[in-house]
Amino acid sequence: MTDRTMKERKTREWLDSRATSRRRFVAGALGTGAAVAAPAVLTGARAAGEFKMATFLALSGPASLFGPTQTACAKLAIDQINAGGGIGGRKVTVIPADGGATPAEAAKAAIRLMLRDKVDLVLGSHNSAVREAIVAALKGRVPYVYTPLYEGGECNPNVYVTADTPQQQVQPSISWLAKTLGAKSYYLIGNDYVWPHKTNEQAKKYIAAAGGKVVGEEYLPLGAPNKFEDAVTRIKAKKPDLVVITLVGGDNVNFNRTFAGFGLDKSIKRVSYLLEELTLFGIGAENSAGLYSAMSYFVNEKSEPNAKFKAGFAKAFAPKPPPLSMLGADVYSGVYCAKALVEKAGGTKDAGKLMAAADNLQYRTATGSGVMTNRHVVKDMYLAECKGTSFDIVQTFKAVAHGQTCS
Amino acid sequence: MTGDSGGPLFSFSGVTGGYGATTVVRSVGGAVAAGEACCVLGRNGVGKTTLMRLLTGHLPLQSGSVSFDGQPLDGLAPDRRHNLGLVYCPQERPVFDNLSVRENLSLMSSAEVEGRYAPYFAAFPILEARMAQSAGTLSGGERKILSFVRGAAEPGRLLLLDEPSEGVQQENVERMAGFLHEAKAGGRGLLIVEQNLAFALEIADRVIVMDHGEVVLAGAAADMTEATLAAHMHV
Amino acid sequence: MDPILTTNILNVVYEVSTLAVVVLGLAVVFGLLGVMNLAHGEFVMIGAYCAFFVQAQNLPFLAAVPLALLVCAVLGLVVERLLVRPLYARPFDTLLATWGLSMLLREAVEAVYGRGFRSVATPLTGSVDVFGADYPSYRLLLTVVSIALVAGLVWWFVRSATGRRIRAVVNNPELAGSVGIPVTGLARNTFVFGCCLAALAGVMLAPLLPVNPTLGLDFILKSFFVLVVGGLGSLVGLISGSGVIGGVESVVSAFLDRTYGYTTVLIIAILFLWLRPNGLFPRT
Repeated sequence: MTDRTMKERKTREWLDSRATSRRRFVAGALGTGAAVAAPAVLTGARAAGEFKMATFLALSGPASLFGPTQTACAKLAIDQINAGGGIGGRKVTVIPADGGATPAEAAKAAIRLMLRDKVDLVLGSHNSAVREAIVAALKGRVPYVYTPLYEGGECNPNVYVTADTPQQQVQPSISWLAKTLGAKSYYLIGNDYVWPHKTNEQAKKYIAAAGGKVVGEEYLPLGAPNKFEDAVTRIKAKKPDLVVITLVGGDNVNFNRTFAGFGLDKSIKRVSYLLEELTLFGIGAENSAGLYSAMSYFVNEKSEPNAKFKAGFAKAFAPKPPPLSMLGADVYSGVYCAKALVEKAGGTKDAGKLMAAADNLQYRTATGSGVMTNRHVVKDMYLAECKGTSFDIVQTFKAVAHGQTCS
Repeated sequence: MTGDSGGPLFSFSGVTGGYGATTVVRSVGGAVAAGEACCVLGRNGVGKTTLMRLLTGHLPLQSGSVSFDGQPLDGLAPDRRHNLGLVYCPQERPVFDNLSVRENLSLMSSAEVEGRYAPYFAAFPILEARMAQSAGTLSGGERKILSFVRGAAEPGRLLLLDEPSEGVQQENVERMAGFLHEAKAGGRGLLIVEQNLAFALEIADRVIVMDHGEVVLAGAAADMTEATLAAHMHV
Repeated sequence: MDPILTTNILNVVYEVSTLAVVVLGLAVVFGLLGVMNLAHGEFVMIGAYCAFFVQAQNLPFLAAVPLALLVCAVLGLVVERLLVRPLYARPFDTLLATWGLSMLLREAVEAVYGRGFRSVATPLTGSVDVFGADYPSYRLLLTVVSIALVAGLVWWFVRSATGRRIRAVVNNPELAGSVGIPVTGLARNTFVFGCCLAALAGVMLAPLLPVNPTLGLDFILKSFFVLVVGGLGSLVGLISGSGVIGGVESVVSAFLDRTYGYTTVLIIAILFLWLRPNGLFPRT
């Protein structure tokens, strides 16, 4: 037995013993006659009474910029579901946890939520390091829905990914841009961690397929106070047709401002794979010419379901709703995915049944519906061009494959 | 001659203090009248410099009082005491090493250096020769001269000198004595810490001898024999 | 000359000169007061938000300069009186106190403006032809203003009476008091001055940065390295430190990439701490 599993077991035993002693106390308070039967009755009643959902959202850390929209979207979906009778007739309650915590802290929180709070399901929007820690902590004993765009490859049992994958983001958008813009040469720039590398792996595949070539590729440290004068000068020297950007947050803002500041926006197009409304706002209207983004959600998407979703959001959080974006809409869809999954499987106890139910599971999303295969989602993707600080969808790609085989 | 208010120009009593919780100087008292020189004598390490720092406000008093012109100086910062008329030339690090000789002399006044210090430059031509040099490059004795000149030329009515003759050549010590006699004649009060007994007795009207932080002997300089004083200074 | 090489050279000059302006206030305060103000970056951040505020009110960009100076001067006065002065000569306590202050300022700005990025439009768009290379006009202007600011300050520091007195206090605070320099008042003014310089840097850099509450954190570490290399307490040290840190980072970044740039700077900083802890121009 490794140190870590020892530690986990000890933690669990400790938590269990606390839970047991609390039950004993409750039983004692109820009177000696009921003492033996009470624990079972109590837990049974509670389990049937409410559906406990733990949410790991960005309450702290660099992504906490998205915390308010995530929390609001989760609340909106759950309020709607509860108004319609809950999940499988059970009222949904939320136990919030911090997805911005370190992986070790998140794992501890997951264990506590599973063993002490006995949550029925975990939903998370956070980075992959935290996801791996939570997966390791839960070990498939509780269903886990993961919602933000990521690098792909999550195939652990009882884990359900509603996120955009690189295949979905990159394949249709690169092919379209190559054809429409006639882009032949490409420059790849991203932060140095798994998602940009995996995304660029896909990008290079489709660039080659479209007959283009990569003239430069560079990665900058994540979380460092990066400046981009040197990178922009290199790009200026290489004169690519399209820059593929997998920088995140402040780096994405900074790069695009520097890029336009050096006047490169006049001759070179850009596509960014993590560019939503809040980041675009930071980039600013005068720096966003010739900049594209490809994701499964934009606030400006014109469908009927999105109009309804936005109206519901605006009404629920009036008079001052938090700024809506992809990372919130994801969570909204994830909650509906959880509902569809649990109802189709007839409960959350049996991982086998849940995983079987996930196959071809259809559920409601902010912009319509998604279909789950291999515990990932086949979905519509959008390519948007920036117009000032808003997105103009120039192309919709229907039912894009996620490319995850999980074999 | 006395101060404006009728009492001595400068007086202190029960002065007790030191560094942090350590008491170095215990209950030292004394007075300097205008036109009079008081010398503080004693071996190394008996608290003379500490006394000077207590009187000039660089160290807080643990107890006792200091007054200038009849006004208490309690809690006043060194620069405020300076502005009242206390001019202090410390023993250690007597000049600003990173400033030139000229900058040292013109730090607090925009007036032309050459005119203001003319008599001093006549006595100590070395200073004028080194005007543009940074003070840190001067010898120890030259720094003492620079410090002395800076202080002596200031208008303040009380001059506190901590070992002005240390490391200074004999002929220059004699010139210093000359300026100090002039200062006395001009009505300034002098409080001087010295090891050079001959120099001290040449200027002093009154003498305070310290040992272990306390006054062991005090009185008019005329009443002291050199032998008595020497006995206190060399054990 | 090759336009790309020209652009790279201008980038290096830009990085070194703007870095020098950011560190200037920090170095002046440290030199005189011995206080390492870890909230220095937050004053830069507040300056940047002043630029944002002014633009949001449709006022001319330059109106941000007096606003930022006023806000940071008042803030600096309060901080000096309540936080810095009681902790003089207690360097570690000052580090903790100013670090706490930096958190407080970040949270305060976040409470007003939220965590989101704010965009400050560049007041001067377009580019200028410099020896065949197109260089953004605002960056060029910023480089010139930064160099002028640093040069002006050095000149003032060397030539003015106040500059002489500041140098005197740095060299020998006890003697400074004895010759009548109001050390406490001078220290207060210097601290406020340092805060104002940070605010000015914030206004100037705002159009080029992702303006958000954590902006200041990006500056403090590099400023630290500059002081480690340059030595504490002299302007020559500050300028050479900015030159070494900013210059090495941007040259290495231009010819290799940013990761190598950071690594080289870290190695230089460690070597200095190890072999020459007082920097190139140590305090006398």
